[in-house]
Amino acid sequence: MIIHANVLFTISSYALAVASAVIVGLVLRLPILPERPIRHSWTISIIFPTSVLALGFTAIVFKLGYEGLLVAAVVGVTTAIFAKYLLERILPKPQTEES
Amino acid sequence: MNEIISIVIAAILSWFNFVLIDTWMGLPEKPGVKGADVIGRSVLKRGGDLAGGFFQGNIVCSPDASAGTLLASAACYTIGTPEGGLIAAILVYFGNRLCADPGYAGTTGALTITGIIFAASFIGIGPAYFVVGMVLAIVTIQGINHPLASKLIGKIAEKMGRHTELT
Repeated sequence: MIIHANVLFTISSYALAVASAVIVGLVLRLPILPERPIRHSWTISIIFPTSVLALGFTAIVFKLGYEGLLVAAVVGVTTAIFAKYLLERILPKPQTEES
Repeated sequence: MNEIISIVIAAILSWFNFVLIDTWMGLPEKPGVKGADVIGRSVLKRGGDLAGGFFQGNIVCSPDASAGTLLASAACYTIGTPEGGLIAAILVYFGNRLCADPGYAGTTGALTITGIIFAASFIGIGPAYFVVGMVLAIVTIQGINHPLASKLIGKIAEKMGRHTELT
């Protein structure tokens, strides 16, 4: 199987976006994992959703035509800041469980 | 003929992807919102399984792994693999948060099916087959016989330790 250089470059870009989101998330003191049981937790952590958001936002920005390692790093940093300060305000946890 | 075989394989992969992830993430354990509770109890009244009913109710009321699988397949078809799947994953996550759901099932389902589509594309099964396959897969759970499907889901939930404790 032949792996082209641009594929490796794209994979590196996504990895850099996640890495920069993780590093900034740690600096901003986001928890690494939500508390257990994870499947019922609403805690915003580094692994979920920050890393997933970093991948998705990077894909959007790349598809809009802005590519490169620097762009990926900026998207990762922005995602971590977004997850820490804005996500809970924009999409808050429901006030009460309905059932 | 090859197309039909591809659709069948894609449907089976999609079925296992969303049923196993949704069950693992606890959809049969409890209804996330009141609507899912109503659906679950209605299925129980018609001779079905309560955990399976909650599962069916939850996937109606918020975008879980079923929606993640379908959206990621459609996004991979229109945008490309894996970018489409990654974009679908965050759209599903935002949809989940809007529907009072923490978002683990939908996001995980979108990401895993993106990996499956990427792997399947090497044997000629592209994202378009997964769109059709996922529609067929969801029909087996929501479109043919609710009580029967709920009993199957209930058994899977029991085996995975995710059966509901509610009565």
